[in-house]
Amino acid sequence: VRVGVDVGGTFTDLVALADDGTIEVRKVVTTPEDPAVGLFHALDPLKPPHAVELLVHGTTIATNALLERRGARIALVTTKGFEDLLWLRRQDRAALYDLARDHPPPLVARSDVVGVAERTGPAGVLEPLGEDEVQRVVAALRALVPPPDALAVALLFAFRHAEHERRLVAALREALPNVPIAASHEVLPVFREFERASTTTVEAYLRPKVSAYLGRLERDVRARGIGMLRVMTSSGGTLSPGAAAGRAASLALSGPAGGVIGARLVGAAVGLPDLLTLDMGGTSADASLVSGGTPLGDGGGVVAGIPLALPAVLIETVSAGGGSIARIDEGGALKVGPESAGAVPGPACYGRGGARPTVTDACLVLRWLDAQHPLADAVRLDRDAAEQALSSLGMASDASAIAAGIVAVAAAVMARALKRVSVARGFDPRRMALLPFGGAGPLFGCQLAEALGMRTIVIPPHPGALSALGLASAAERVDLIASFHRPLDDVPSGDLGAAFAPLLEEGRGQIPGGALLRYADCRFAGQGYEVTVPVTGDDPRRIREAFLVEHRARFGHAASDQPVELVNLRVVALREGPLPRFADLRRVVQRPGASRPITLRGARVSASVWALDELAAGVTIAGPAILAGRNATALVEAGWRGMVHQCGAVLVQRT
Amino acid sequence: MTLDAVGLEVMGHAFASIAEEMGLVLIHSAVSPNIRERRDCSAALFDAAGEMIAQAAHIPVHLGAMQESVAAARGLAPPPAPGDIFILNDPYTGGSHLPDITLIGAIEVDGAVGGYSVVRAHHSDVGGVQAGSMPAGAREIFAEGVIVPPLRLTDDVERFLLANVRTPETRRADLAAQRAAVKRGAEGLRGMAARYGWAAVREAATDLLDYAERRARDALGRLKATDLTATDWLEGDGAGDADLGVSVRVDIADGVFHVDFTGTAPAARGNVNCPLAVARSAVLFVVHTLLPEDVPTNGGVQRAVRITAPPGCLVNARFPSAVAAGNVETSQRIADTVFLALAAGGIAVPAQGQGTMNNVTFGASGWTYYETIGGGQGASHGAPGPSGVHVGMSNTRNTPIEVLEMDYPLRLKTYALRRGSGGGGRWSGGEGVIREFEVLAPMEASILAERRRHAPRGAAGGRDGERGSTCLNDVPLAPKVSVSLAPGDVLRLETPGGGGWGKPERGDNG
Repeated sequence: VRVGVDVGGTFTDLVALADDGTIEVRKVVTTPEDPAVGLFHALDPLKPPHAVELLVHGTTIATNALLERRGARIALVTTKGFEDLLWLRRQDRAALYDLARDHPPPLVARSDVVGVAERTGPAGVLEPLGEDEVQRVVAALRALVPPPDALAVALLFAFRHAEHERRLVAALREALPNVPIAASHEVLPVFREFERASTTTVEAYLRPKVSAYLGRLERDVRARGIGMLRVMTSSGGTLSPGAAAGRAASLALSGPAGGVIGARLVGAAVGLPDLLTLDMGGTSADASLVSGGTPLGDGGGVVAGIPLALPAVLIETVSAGGGSIARIDEGGALKVGPESAGAVPGPACYGRGGARPTVTDACLVLRWLDAQHPLADAVRLDRDAAEQALSSLGMASDASAIAAGIVAVAAAVMARALKRVSVARGFDPRRMALLPFGGAGPLFGCQLAEALGMRTIVIPPHPGALSALGLASAAERVDLIASFHRPLDDVPSGDLGAAFAPLLEEGRGQIPGGALLRYADCRFAGQGYEVTVPVTGDDPRRIREAFLVEHRARFGHAASDQPVELVNLRVVALREGPLPRFADLRRVVQRPGASRPITLRGARVSASVWALDELAAGVTIAGPAILAGRNATALVEAGWRGMVHQCGAVLVQRT
Repeated sequence: MTLDAVGLEVMGHAFASIAEEMGLVLIHSAVSPNIRERRDCSAALFDAAGEMIAQAAHIPVHLGAMQESVAAARGLAPPPAPGDIFILNDPYTGGSHLPDITLIGAIEVDGAVGGYSVVRAHHSDVGGVQAGSMPAGAREIFAEGVIVPPLRLTDDVERFLLANVRTPETRRADLAAQRAAVKRGAEGLRGMAARYGWAAVREAATDLLDYAERRARDALGRLKATDLTATDWLEGDGAGDADLGVSVRVDIADGVFHVDFTGTAPAARGNVNCPLAVARSAVLFVVHTLLPEDVPTNGGVQRAVRITAPPGCLVNARFPSAVAAGNVETSQRIADTVFLALAAGGIAVPAQGQGTMNNVTFGASGWTYYETIGGGQGASHGAPGPSGVHVGMSNTRNTPIEVLEMDYPLRLKTYALRRGSGGGGRWSGGEGVIREFEVLAPMEASILAERRRHAPRGAAGGRDGERGSTCLNDVPLAPKVSVSLAPGDVLRLETPGGGGWGKPERGDNG
C-alpha cells in the first residue's frame, strides 16, 4: 500500500492506494501544535499498518513557519558594503498609492548581519578573502548574543565564483559544528543577488524546524514498520527526509504541489495531458497549469512576502474560498474576499457564530449544497442562517439573486487567476481541460470553463482529497541547477556534456536508477527572463530551435536572427510512481437519487442528485445535476453532460 | 448604468487581466535592463473614445499621461483603422519625454476600431547629444533625442528611428516586445467580445468608468478644501542653478479636485519643463492616494480631476522646450506641492518623501544604461515611512548588482541604506540610499536629481529628511549635471530621507 498524507491548515487528508487499485480516503482534523499527531490519527487505523510500503507526506510546516514568522533565529554573512541587501529589496514600494504600507521585514535582524571584506566580480576575485578576515567573521558570529540557530552565507557573484563562500562555510562548520549553514551557491546558484540571498535566508530560517520535525517523524514512522517516508517538495517531486532536511526551503509549497501532481495523475488516467487546475479551499483558491503531462514550473515566487526563487510548481493564489466573505463597497460593487471567515467561526451556515455572508452560504442558498448532507467536518448546514447573512448585505434582491451574485464574483476572481497561469503565459485555455478540486472547486467548473472558453471539465475522483492522492503516487524527484552563462553559439557540444556531467552524477546518486532529464534556461541575449527547454542531445542548434518555438508560443514573437544565450542548466532526476489503477468495486451507482430544486443562472431548475464517490463507470449524467460526495460537491450545469470514466473521474463536456 | 453590482466586479476583473497580460508579455520578452529588470513601463487598455478602461499597476507618472497618446493617434488624418499600430514619443503631441516610447494599437473588433491597447516603455537610448538621452544641459528638445510624432509604425518608420540611436539592436528587440504586448491586448479584448458579446463589453467599459468616477467623487466630496495654496522649489534646470517655483492652488468642490498652477515659474531654459499631461499624472497620483484602494485605476477617476495652468509655464511647456527632467523630477515636485497644499488645509497626508528619482545615465559609444535610485518615503500619521523605496511618480525596481556588472563597465562599491537620513517625528521618515559606482571604462554620465538644497519636509511637527548629494571622487556636484568619467572615478549618490510625521514623543518614535 502506498499512502499519501496531506496535512493542511484545517484537515489532514489521507489516501491509501492498494496494488489492486482500491483507494481508501480519510479525513481527520489537523493538530497544529504537532502535525504528526493528526497524521498518525489518520494513518494508524489503516489495517494492517505494516503493509504500508511508502508514506508520502505533504506538509505545511515550512509554509506556516514563514507565514507565522516562527522559524529559527538566523544570522547572515554577506559581502561588506552590501549588508542592507535584504532591506533594499528591489526598491519598489509595497503599494503604489498606500504610502504608509511597507514590505514585511526580512527573516534576519539587521544586527545579525555580518559583512565580509571580500569581493568577486563577473570575471573572478576582485578583493581576496584573507584568512584573518575569515577568522574575524567566525569570531563575530560566535559573539552574537543570543547565538543564532542557523546561518545563511550569500556573497556577491557566488553563483559563478563560489570559492569565497566555500571557504567561509568550511571555517564556520568547523567552528560551529552544530549550527546548520545555508550557502547561496548551494541553495540557488543563479544570478540576481537579492533573490538568491533572500532564498538562502529562507533555507537557514526553516532548516532547524523542518529537520527536527522530519527527524522525529521518520523515527515514529520507522517504529510502525512503514517501509519508507518521503516528503513532497514545491516542485512536485519527493525527497527522502534526510535530503528534505537539507533543502527545507524547497518545502514551502509542499501542500499545493501535491494537488497539482494529483491533477496531473488524473489527467493522465483520462488521457488529457493539458490541464488548468483549480484547488478551491476554505480561504483561497490556487490555480495552476499542466502542459503535456508536466506541471508548469515557476522560479520567481514569493511566500509570505519573502522572495523564494527555488523551482516550484506554478501556483497563483487568489482569495476566493468557501469561507471568503462578501460585502458591498462604497461604490455599490459586490466584493468577495480577501477577508475570510476561516474555519472559526466559519460561514454563517455552520452555526458557529459567523454572521457575515460567505461563498459557502451562497452555495447553500442556491441549494447547490444540501443542508441535510453534512460537509467534511460533520457540521449540519443552516440555510436560514445563510439567508439571513445574505440579506444583511442590504441589496435590493432576494436571497437567491444575491447568492448568484456572490458566486459570479467569486468565479470572476478565480477566472483571473486561471488566466494568469494560462493566457498571460501564452497557453490557450481553449485547448485544455479544466480540473477543479478541493471541497468546493467542482461546484464552479462549468462557470469557469465558460469564462475561459473551455469545453472539457474533469471532476477527479475524491476531489476533496486530491492532494493526498497526488502524494500517494508522486514521483521521486530531485531538481538540480547550475549557472552556465554563455552565448549558445559559442558552446561546443563537448562543453555542454561536460557541464551537465556533475549534475547528472548527483542526480544519479540521489535517485539511483531514476530517469535523468536535462533542461536549459535560455533567453535572447539581453533578456531578463528565461524560458526552460528540454535538452536532447548536445547539439546547441537543437536547443536554439526548441527555444525559438517556445518563445514564440509564449510571447508571440521570436526573431530567428537574434543571438540566444544559455543561463542555467538543470537536471531533474526522476522515478515515477505507479499510476494507480483506480479500480473501485464500490462504484456501483447507475442512477440518480431523488432530484432537488436548485437555482442556476437566476432560474429554479430541478437537478438530479448523484452519489459522486460511488458512480459506476460509463454512467452518463445530463446537467443540471449535483454530484454529492463525502468531501466535495460538484455541479454539472445545463448544457453540459458528464460521463463517468473508469478511473472514477467524471468527464464533463459541453453538449 | 446597466451593470449591476456583480457585473461591475466581473467585468472589472476581465479588463484588468488583459492589461496584466500585456505587462507580463512586455517584461518577460524585453531585452534592456531598464524594461525587464526595472520595469520602467506601463500597459493599458482604452475604449474607442480614448478613455482608459484598465491599467496594469506599474508607474504612476505613466498613468494619467497615456490618454494624450491615444488622443494624438485618434487625431491623425486619416483616423486610426482597425489593426493599425502607432508609435510616438513627442512630448508635445501625446508623449511625456523622449525616452518614453509609446505604442498604440487600434484594436479591431467586428471590423471597426473597438479600443486601443497602449504600451509605454522607457528606452534608455533615443539618440541626442549624449548617450542615455537624458542630457543635463539641454536647452532645446532637439538635443534630447529623435522626436517621433504620432506615426503609423511601419518598417520604414522603425528603420528611421533605429538609424538615430546608439543601440539599434536593443531598441529593435524592445520594440518587438512592445509590439507583442500591444497585440496581446488586442487579442484579449476580442476574446472578451467573443465571450460576452461586443455590445455588452462596450457597455461594461462605460459603466466601469462611471463607477470609478462615482467612487472618486464620493471620496473627494468628503474632503473640505478651498483655496489651499503652496509653493515648492525645483533646484535649477541643468542650464542654470537658480530655484524655480512650482505653485498650486487646490480646490475641491462637488467631488472635483481642481489644481491651478498660476504663479508657477515660466518655462525654464533647461530640461525641467513638462507637458500638461505629466502635470495631470502627478495630480492624479495624489488623488489616488486619497481614494480607497479598491477604486479602479481608469479614466473615470480622471473625470473628477481638473488641471489649469498658464500656457508656456514650467508645467504646461511649449515646443521646443527641453523636457527630459520634467517627466521624472518636475512631476515629483508637482505631487509634493499638491500634498503640501492639502496639509496646509489640515488634510492628513504623508510628510514629503525623497521627492526625486535620482536619475543616473551612463553611456559611451555602443551602450547606454539608465537607472533611478530609491530613497526615503515620508512618514504618515500612524506609520513610519518605508526606507529605500521609490516614492511618488516612480516605482521602478533596481538593477541587480550582478546584472549591472555583467552587462556594463561599472562596479558597485556600496549599496546601502543611509542611516539617520529619515526625519524624526512621532513617526520617522524612511531612510535614503547610498549607491557608489566605480567607473571601469571611459564614459559619459548625466545625473538629474533634486532635494540637494531643499530638504523633504516633515509634517505636523515632524523633522525634515536629510538632503541628498551627488559626489564625484568626493567632490560635490550640482543637482543636474553631465560629466565625462575616466576609469577609477567613483560616483557616489546619497539619496534624501523622508520627512517625519508629528512631534517626537519620548519613547515613541516610529
